[in-house]
Amino acid sequence: MSRDQLLDEIREVNLSYLLLAQRMIHEDRAEAMYRLGLSEQVVEIIEKLTMAQIIKIASSNLLICGFRFNEDVIWNLLTSHGKDAEIARMHASLLMAGAPALEATPA
Amino acid sequence: MAKSVIAEARDIQLAKELIELGARLQVLEAETRLSREKLLRLYKEIQGKSPPKGMLPFSTDWFMTWQPNIHASLFMSIYRYIDKSMELEQIEVVLKAYRLYREHIKAHGMEEVLSITRAWRLVKFFDAGMLTTTACRGCGGQFVVHTFELTDDYVCGLCNVPSRAGKTKRRLQEQLAAV
Repeated sequence: MSRDQLLDEIREVNLSYLLLAQRMIHEDRAEAMYRLGLSEQVVEIIEKLTMAQIIKIASSNLLICGFRFNEDVIWNLLTSHGKDAEIARMHASLLMAGAPALEATPA
Repeated sequence: MAKSVIAEARDIQLAKELIELGARLQVLEAETRLSREKLLRLYKEIQGKSPPKGMLPFSTDWFMTWQPNIHASLFMSIYRYIDKSMELEQIEVVLKAYRLYREHIKAHGMEEVLSITRAWRLVKFFDAGMLTTTACRGCGGQFVVHTFELTDDYVCGLCNVPSRAGKTKRRLQEQLAAV
């Protein structure tokens, strides 16, 4: 994959993420906060972004969204297979729902 | 006092959402100010039949058995997440958390163990201080327990799955069908 192509694809993921996030926040704020794993402050920032701002933010060489968990235990549960996979996924969801939302750090 | 039409419209909308999710009449009576007659009519119109009669399950013990405990704990995690994120009426939080719980269950093709009525009861048991959650020593997740239980060494039903766990009737039928 050429570097230009890579940058294009990163921009597309960023753009999709921001547009989807905005739509979700608009439709059901509380539900969106749960699905996105973001705090009220961050949600407010995303909500107010203009189209021009979204395009600018999306055009980066970095992905703007990352994983919402770092814990080994969740990774192990999500990647487990076999006969207990169903239980493991339920376990992972429970732990993810219990994790705190990502907060905006004050400047 | 004259009833506000707007408040009534809001109550009807709320009752409708609850009935669609399968809530029992007692839940509707507790959460709205609509008359019993109106609720009955609404119920029949939406569900096409009369609501089931009889009392609501009142015991906290059901939530302690293996499968219900996991489902109740998942629901409660979602409930608390939403409750912390936004200022909403309690019943709104119950509805949102329940929809998300159900979505999860469906996505994984699992059985819906917790009904909306049970979920609502669960939240009331928490309000009354009869149930609470405690952290599992193994995974750190929060699980539903009786308030005055000794839980220093609590290990959840997901870290320590009992050997018969998940052997439901439905699963058995699926296995038989596959043979």
